[in-house]
Amino acid sequence: MNPAQRSAWLGSGAVFAAFVALWWAASHAGWISRVFLPTPEATLASLHEGLASGGELIAFMLATTARMLQGWLLASLMGVALGALIGVSPTVRATLQPTLEFVRPLPASALLPLAIAMFGLSPGMVLFVVAFGALWPVLLATVHGFAAVEPRLVEVAHCLQLSRAAFVWKIGLPNALPDILAGMRLSMTVSLIVAVVGEMIASQPGLGQAILLAARAFRASELFAGIALLGVIGFVSNALLSLAERKLLNWQSP
Amino acid sequence: MSLLSFDRVAIHLGGREILSPTSFEVERGEFVCIVGPSGCGKTTLLRAATGLVRASGGEVRRDGRPVTQPSREVAFVFQDYGRALLPWRTVQGNVALALEAAGVPPEQHAARIAEVLAKVGLAAHAHKFPAQLSGGMQQRVQIARCLAQRPQLLMMDEPFGALDALTRQSLQDEVARLVRDEGLTVLFVTHDLEEAIYLGDRVIMLQANPAPGRPSLARMLPVGIPHPRDQLGTKEHPEFLTLRRDLFAFIEHGHA
Amino acid sequence: MLDDHTPSAEYGKRPSGRVGPGLGRHGAAARALLRPWWFPSALLALFELYTRTLAKGSDSLAPPSAALRAFAGAFTDGSLFQATAFTLASAALGLAIGATLGVTLGIALGLSKRAARLSVVTVEMLRPVPSVALIPLAMLVFGFGLRMEFSVVAFATFWPMLLLTQAAVAQVDARLLEVSQVLGLSPLQRSLKIVLPAIVPRLFIALRLGVAVSLVVAVTVEIAANPNGMGYAMMIAQQSLDPALMLAWLGWIGVVGFAVNAAALRLQRWVARRMGAVA
Repeated sequence: MNPAQRSAWLGSGAVFAAFVALWWAASHAGWISRVFLPTPEATLASLHEGLASGGELIAFMLATTARMLQGWLLASLMGVALGALIGVSPTVRATLQPTLEFVRPLPASALLPLAIAMFGLSPGMVLFVVAFGALWPVLLATVHGFAAVEPRLVEVAHCLQLSRAAFVWKIGLPNALPDILAGMRLSMTVSLIVAVVGEMIASQPGLGQAILLAARAFRASELFAGIALLGVIGFVSNALLSLAERKLLNWQSP
Repeated sequence: MSLLSFDRVAIHLGGREILSPTSFEVERGEFVCIVGPSGCGKTTLLRAATGLVRASGGEVRRDGRPVTQPSREVAFVFQDYGRALLPWRTVQGNVALALEAAGVPPEQHAARIAEVLAKVGLAAHAHKFPAQLSGGMQQRVQIARCLAQRPQLLMMDEPFGALDALTRQSLQDEVARLVRDEGLTVLFVTHDLEEAIYLGDRVIMLQANPAPGRPSLARMLPVGIPHPRDQLGTKEHPEFLTLRRDLFAFIEHGHA
Repeated sequence: MLDDHTPSAEYGKRPSGRVGPGLGRHGAAARALLRPWWFPSALLALFELYTRTLAKGSDSLAPPSAALRAFAGAFTDGSLFQATAFTLASAALGLAIGATLGVTLGIALGLSKRAARLSVVTVEMLRPVPSVALIPLAMLVFGFGLRMEFSVVAFATFWPMLLLTQAAVAQVDARLLEVSQVLGLSPLQRSLKIVLPAIVPRLFIALRLGVAVSLVVAVTVEIAANPNGMGYAMMIAQQSLDPALMLAWLGWIGVVGFAVNAAALRLQRWVARRMGAVA
């Protein structure tokens, strides 16, 4: 890292530290009640306590992450497979597109009451809704990716007499990959959200339930600790996906 | 029997007659250039010969058999090379596509790709992506892919239209050399009259908006200039100048 | 280009230079109009059949026809209007706050590379926090009601508006900024007279996203905790084992979401037409 980059990071970090200092001052001076805003030290203490060996926050974090990942993986596989089938055929696309466009703005969490009605309050129910919610961004992105193949490439494949299967595998799929990966990133965000909401209303062990209980019991430092960990999950999952995306799409900016 | 034969081929598109019934033959080893203004149907004619477009009337025959769909015997070079290459594959990978499509066993790929890349002078760039190549190089990748097909016929649709003048000239000579070495038959569409005369053994001139008494096929002239040709000498050759004058004059005064 | 006959995107189709026979203009138009409805109608019909036969008398599922009746009931007794108004109001208020703050900060960070560099760590630390994680905090601070909901919506909409506005400002033609320098405009004048009008088309694209997010987050907050609005009405219906009403609310939430997004799309397209599409 050259000196200019280093100083940029330091400056940015200093600004963040300044905000933390502001937080410290606000909570200590009582500008905002400590019921709502715990001190930074208290939050750190809760984090430490929860993350230490045997601490419950680790178990909660793993539970939420597992839920998020399972639903996301399931949704991604189904989304790509279905999306490819729909995307390659203009007729199927035309028939299904309006329905897909209708479901797109629907909040995934809105399926929770229906899922509860059908499956009761269980981990499987939450997983079902997580997967359902995460399905749409990937599905729609895949359909779009397969539908929007460069016409010139279609002609090239035609001239080379490429079989339909070979066309989908060698041209359709790589062409759709940027869209698919972007959809998968969006799906991950949805997975996390629905996992958390699912835990909250179905009383499933995880960070979602933990922060809800902490709020109800007015334990602000535990609440903030939980929120911070959820932020970490969001950050890490997004960062890993972005990294994978850059590696897989290195041909875009070689 | 001629390799390619156009038997009163007519093409209608969007309710309009793009090409009036046109007939001519292309012999093996010939380099035929088709020129004409925009809208005269030259690209459409090329596509019909390839099987990408079906003729509305008449028939295109290759080796005596009607052309109804593309075949690996016929390679097509598109003008917009950027859109005709797979951006996610390297130069090597793009050429490999032709071999994969033809079912060539994977063990033979490396050798054949290397052979063809050497012919177009891209051996050193085998592992680059299209985004890293200049326009001229990208077009050579496309040509390499076409050569990898080992085709009978090479169709070229204004292949150098999107390139700068210097690159165009060097590619003209490269293609002329390649075609001679491989013994290919070529159908070459261009709007550049001089390019057509420089490269072709025969120049076919089409005109737009055909009408009774004014067919699409306006002129068909042999080019007797000997091979190999060069950018300086050939363009001062008397026959070059005569043909050039003839064709330009036709454009100027040839319309009804 | 008349010379170029671009084939259809459907791979494997045989080439054609001819126009095929059809049902005539009116037949084709009618078919195109009906096409979006085949699949959902078939699905609803199947579901209706299923709930009337195999799942008859179920506590968890109801036929679409019963859901329609429940919907009519909610419409007439005013609960539909009340709940919908609450959700839309909290979404709108949250978006107004989040968008105003996001756009203002976005313009500031977009114009000052230095400020943008300094804000990176803070933004990247706070942005990944899922908005739903703040529901318990909002509940703690505001209790239940409108403020709790629109504050979560504001947080959720703030980030996309901030980042998209920042990107939009970065793409403002450098020439325009030079003009503002030469004219000696104050930062405020520059922002209002040059930057803001220049980014309007992109802003409306961002706003479209913001509208979608605001509605989704509002409904999610109601499902998770807030005893108000459409999401809550749906939860209550399920808990009182009234599947017809629950499905009615689910359908209505879908319709409202679709309508609001469609309206936002039209607005964005209108702006693009008036003020120039995104370059």
